[in-house]
Amino acid sequence: MPEPTPPEHHLPGAGRTPEDGAIADTGMGGAMDLATAEGETLEGKPGGPPGTGPSGRDAGGASGERARSLWSDAWRDLRRNPVFIIAALVILFLVFISLWPSSITWMSPLKCQLSKAQEGSQPGHPFGFDGQGCDVYTRVVYGARTSVTVGVLATLGVALFGSVLGGLAGFFGGAWDSLLSRITDVFFAIPVVLGGLVLLSVVTSNTVWPVIGFMVLLGWPQISRIARGSVITAKQNDYVQAARSLGASNSRLLLRHITPNAVAPVIVVATIALGTYIALEATLSYLGVGLKPPTVSWGIDISAASPYIRNAPHALLWPSGALAVTVLAFIMLGDAVRDALDPKLR
Amino acid sequence: MGRYVIRRLLQMIPVFIGATLLIFLMVNVMGDPIAGLCGDRQCDPATAAQLKKEFGLDKPVWQQYLTYMGNVFTGDFGTAFNGQPVTELMASAFPVTIRLTIVAILFEIVIGIALGVVTGLRRGRPVDTGVLLLTLVVISVPTFVTGLLLQLLLGVQWGWIKPSVSTEATFGELIVPGLVLASVSLAYVTRLTRTSIAENKRSDYVRTAVAKGLPRRRVVTRHLLRNSLIPVVTFIGTDIGALMGGAIVTERIFNIHGVGFQLYQGILRQNTQTVVGFVTVLVLVFLVANLLVDLLYAVLDPRIRYA
Amino acid sequence: MLLEVRDLHVEFRTRDGIARAVNGVSYGVDAGETLAVLGESGSGKSVTAQAIMGILDMPPGRITAGEIVFRGRDLLTLKEDERRKVRGAEMAMIFQDALSSLNPVLSVGDQLGEMFVVHRGLSRKDARARAVELMDRVRIPAARERVRDYPHQFSGGMRQRIMIAMAMALEPALIIADEPTTALDVTVQAQVMDLLAELQREYHMGLILITHDLGVVADVADRIAVMYAGRIVESAPVHDIYKAPAHPYTRGLLDSIPRLDQKGQELYAIKGLPPNLMDIPPGCAFNPRCPMAQDVCRTDVPPLYEVTDVPRAAGTDEPPADRTSACHFWRECLHD
Repeated sequence: MPEPTPPEHHLPGAGRTPEDGAIADTGMGGAMDLATAEGETLEGKPGGPPGTGPSGRDAGGASGERARSLWSDAWRDLRRNPVFIIAALVILFLVFISLWPSSITWMSPLKCQLSKAQEGSQPGHPFGFDGQGCDVYTRVVYGARTSVTVGVLATLGVALFGSVLGGLAGFFGGAWDSLLSRITDVFFAIPVVLGGLVLLSVVTSNTVWPVIGFMVLLGWPQISRIARGSVITAKQNDYVQAARSLGASNSRLLLRHITPNAVAPVIVVATIALGTYIALEATLSYLGVGLKPPTVSWGIDISAASPYIRNAPHALLWPSGALAVTVLAFIMLGDAVRDALDPKLR
Repeated sequence: MGRYVIRRLLQMIPVFIGATLLIFLMVNVMGDPIAGLCGDRQCDPATAAQLKKEFGLDKPVWQQYLTYMGNVFTGDFGTAFNGQPVTELMASAFPVTIRLTIVAILFEIVIGIALGVVTGLRRGRPVDTGVLLLTLVVISVPTFVTGLLLQLLLGVQWGWIKPSVSTEATFGELIVPGLVLASVSLAYVTRLTRTSIAENKRSDYVRTAVAKGLPRRRVVTRHLLRNSLIPVVTFIGTDIGALMGGAIVTERIFNIHGVGFQLYQGILRQNTQTVVGFVTVLVLVFLVANLLVDLLYAVLDPRIRYA
Repeated sequence: MLLEVRDLHVEFRTRDGIARAVNGVSYGVDAGETLAVLGESGSGKSVTAQAIMGILDMPPGRITAGEIVFRGRDLLTLKEDERRKVRGAEMAMIFQDALSSLNPVLSVGDQLGEMFVVHRGLSRKDARARAVELMDRVRIPAARERVRDYPHQFSGGMRQRIMIAMAMALEPALIIADEPTTALDVTVQAQVMDLLAELQREYHMGLILITHDLGVVADVADRIAVMYAGRIVESAPVHDIYKAPAHPYTRGLLDSIPRLDQKGQELYAIKGLPPNLMDIPPGCAFNPRCPMAQDVCRTDVPPLYEVTDVPRAAGTDEPPADRTSACHFWRECLHD
């Protein structure tokens, strides 16, 4: 079994260790850096209590319990955290209106009257009309569905793909690990908006799938680096070494001992990433290569409203506000969960 | 030290090849590289075949890639859609984007570090909580929204700036676009500096510095800052490459004729050589910035220098 | 007296409540004298030292009462800038972990020379020369070459010598050494301790040696102050304490030293845990762990009794040394 390479020269507060990879993962922008940094601070959690169970069964119980108590403590903290409650309520509301948009709207987002183009707020149309005479309120509500769909599916894809690849590489180490590190370096070297422009400009489909596919393609290295790091950290814990010395199989080690303790950073990063994917979808749609009409998306609407910014700023402000609140909700949720999971802060 | 640099350089070669190959494949395999060559009309099959032969597009992709890279290293980046050599476009576009990036980096250094130091030293006070919340908001609002809003407010409503930047793109005109480009990284630099300062403030060597009877100013500047800024400086260094690649959105909002603008045009007109050429240079810039940061790291931290 | 601490009280306000770390500590050190302050972690010995140096983290720390009189001035009434000029120049401190206590990104020469630059206004070049002298003085080999090196390039013992050199730089009247040898290998411990004792004799400095290692104390200390739960429970000349402790806690500490002549016997250990500083037991703080505790110990806080009738070796007629104990039953303890 190859020995894990402990991170060298980890400076306090440093977002990265130089030996992690040849390339710093800044291509995704500050929000993703925030996510990565938050994930990494969770990796260095202190190991299990000294003298944890001498027998295999005890060791298993201890690691499982440690993960459980971490989460139950976190949950107790979160329930009392107003930031978490507000963020969670916003997200629940978003999920609700993406599932049943017609519960709070009464029009179709595609039914527009050119005669009313750029008109302001009026009875029945609280947010006014956009440049095509469509009701801004209805379009903002329906836009949530697209954003949430893209965000959730892209995050699921990235989290699954990234954590499986990164986790296995971290666990087994060796040649596969080096190869994976080099591959992630390649992806980090491509600025993400640029990659999106190049890749998506040649796609003609107007469903959400190419956008989601692109995000998974460029997003997985981020999560895989986090998952790799936290698996390596978890692997060094005494109870894992104890279980291994008692002959626990690799699959048992991974599933019972390592995963419950390595999953926290991945969840935090994925939550924040969800917010950034929603922002990324809007950015790509704004640039004209993301989603395309007749799909209703905040990004498309903001892009369409920008030429009329002088006469009808409301058509730009409402979808922008909705987008900002949504992204903020996910980032704050991730931030709050991280604070709750970080034993140092308690 | 020398071995460290060489190892880093060697590690970058596969990254460079991989990243450029990836872009090359995206453009060549998924798109139709000659579609843009016949203007707005569809090429007729005979012309298309001839063009393909002329550009070597009938050869296997890996051969095309090698030919292209061979040309790039002799300084031939090919021809843009309007018949200009791509290198000429670069000569006009890169200075603009570099100026924009410089403005953005300055904002990150001056505002980001200043806010980070202030909040890090006053952790838990109202200033700290306020700035921290503000950074989360800035990080959450996508750049293009920040850009459009600032353009609306400063350019249209209050008339402080011209809503779009002229072709000269002087430093003065680039202040607001630079702030927009920097905004998200700036917020991140603030948070990074704050965490770093707050952590180091409790460190033993700062306590020693106080016990030595040094004035508070000296404790902060010579002992606390020097250590706390190492991760910040390295972040800002790697951010140079990311900012240049991410300038597309900002350049589009403010109509700046820089790298992002040319890339965007290249993509719209499906001009392979423009796109791959610019991306290759951007990837190179990114890698060089990374390498420089690693060296800088070693300069700033003797523990790495003598490792 | 060079330094006199009188009735010092320090508390820490935390989210969970107020921790009373120091509750009325009084002790003094003369020039040329070594006072060993003994106690478990959390007994308040380091907090007292930090209060003397003026490097307590405030907030959360707070000095609620007391005086710290140094060379005739109460330090607690000084302005911060005057206080700063005392630190490093007139009193200096040596910390436990030299690696983390030295700045990792500055050369040791810079860190040593800084003392002269800040307090004496020397130029960088002169300061560098003095740094080399200092390193020579604490017997660091090849000082002239190594002055440009960084802390991580030195061994643990050498780093602690650099800490000592830094404390000694301006020849202060008082040195506080907070567990100076705890982080070192046993073989190096003695060398560092000898160096410290030698320098102290040479410059006739007062030395407060904070430790939990009774072995170190016997060799170098003149007096011992034993702390428990933020109070001095016993204070006496070093030989008196070793001969006959006047507090059950001191006795417990002495009994828990492994001794070769008792090989094979079970080692004595004080039962129970140190008290929670947020909830110090009423009466004598040691009562829940004390083998001699009576009802009065659970209700009345023992005052500092003067211990007078120390059994003395026949033929000595020196006056009884000043000695105090905070135990209602110090007499019983002494004669037990």
